[in-house]
Amino acid sequence: MSARKLYFEAIRVGDELPALAKAPIDRVQLARYAGASGDFNPIHVDEAYAKSIGMPSVYAPGMLVVGFLGQLVSDWSRGAQLRRYGVRFIKMVWPGDTVVCKGRVTDKWGENGRYFSELDLWAENQRGELVLKGQTLIQMFYSLEDENRQRAGQAPLIVAVPRQSLAAQVAAPPVEAAPRASESAASAKKPASGSKKAPPRERSRSPMKAASRPKPKKAVARKPAPKKAKRK
Amino acid sequence: MLDKNAVGRSSPPTLNEVEKGAIRRFAEAIGDYNPIYYDEEFARASGYPTVVAPPTFPASFHSSADLRELLGVGIKSLLHAEQVFEYERPIFAGDRIMVSTKVVEVLEKTGPAGKMDVAVLDDEGRDEEGKRVFRARRTLVVRATKEVA
Repeated sequence: MSARKLYFEAIRVGDELPALAKAPIDRVQLARYAGASGDFNPIHVDEAYAKSIGMPSVYAPGMLVVGFLGQLVSDWSRGAQLRRYGVRFIKMVWPGDTVVCKGRVTDKWGENGRYFSELDLWAENQRGELVLKGQTLIQMFYSLEDENRQRAGQAPLIVAVPRQSLAAQVAAPPVEAAPRASESAASAKKPASGSKKAPPRERSRSPMKAASRPKPKKAVARKPAPKKAKRK
Repeated sequence: MLDKNAVGRSSPPTLNEVEKGAIRRFAEAIGDYNPIYYDEEFARASGYPTVVAPPTFPASFHSSADLRELLGVGIKSLLHAEQVFEYERPIFAGDRIMVSTKVVEVLEKTGPAGKMDVAVLDDEGRDEEGKRVFRARRTLVVRATKEVA
């Protein structure tokens, strides 16, 4: 079993990560996660408690789903180092839900022998509803050659690669041989990167609302969702 | 409204020893069977010194932080709204990490459901030499047990 690696030279802005479909969440998994994380908030493991405060059932801790999305990135970016990983919680995840994790490369650049890429990440439930949305910044070797050099204690391979933000590309299509003088201009644009082709269907909700709103009989309807799980 | 004076309050660093078994159980709970979390030889062959912890592993660290103490209120409900991790390096089995929690921001926001209090907390992990390993920023929507108004 040899470790496949992801190198900077191999990725393209716009690349989609192979979707990761997780097994349906059940209460045993919630119990295991409670034990493993040390978070025994009864809202995630104690059905009677959850119902007593008006919830249809226990629900998954948000960090479990953050872990799913982390798995998507780690599986895809083998050998890369996560530098930053941020998420926003959109919708609650319940026992019986099947979470599918997706992602897309939105930017890549190299500076001083260090190579980075940014990705948009998101997770959907079996109804295609967005439950979690995030972004990550990863760092990797430029190529196998670069890795071998660095592991041998030599200087990294230096290739200047200006930012290639997906957002910028969409705005101004094919600037293939983009001027290298624009490197600083391109990086100034950075904050815009990614958010452009954000995943669809985000319904912003008040997080507060979700916590306090009792969801009367949804739990029943939720289980045997009559619609076929839609999958692309 | 949360106590604005809470900003800057922090908990003393607490030692967290990263155990292989804890990494394995954490990865299993997520259903992530990447061998770098389980198999030392595989991890080495992948260029790591030993077994690696999954990116969200810091969620399992404990700090001595008592949110009630830090925020100065009784807490009726807490809702996790956002989470950001920043990593200086991966976390490995055998690491001894000091974790502390600090209140970074306290705000009152108006949402569709009315006013809500938002607290931003940083969990910071440092190794034994004092070098930062990660920072985990939590944004929480907080409801206090008693409205002080």
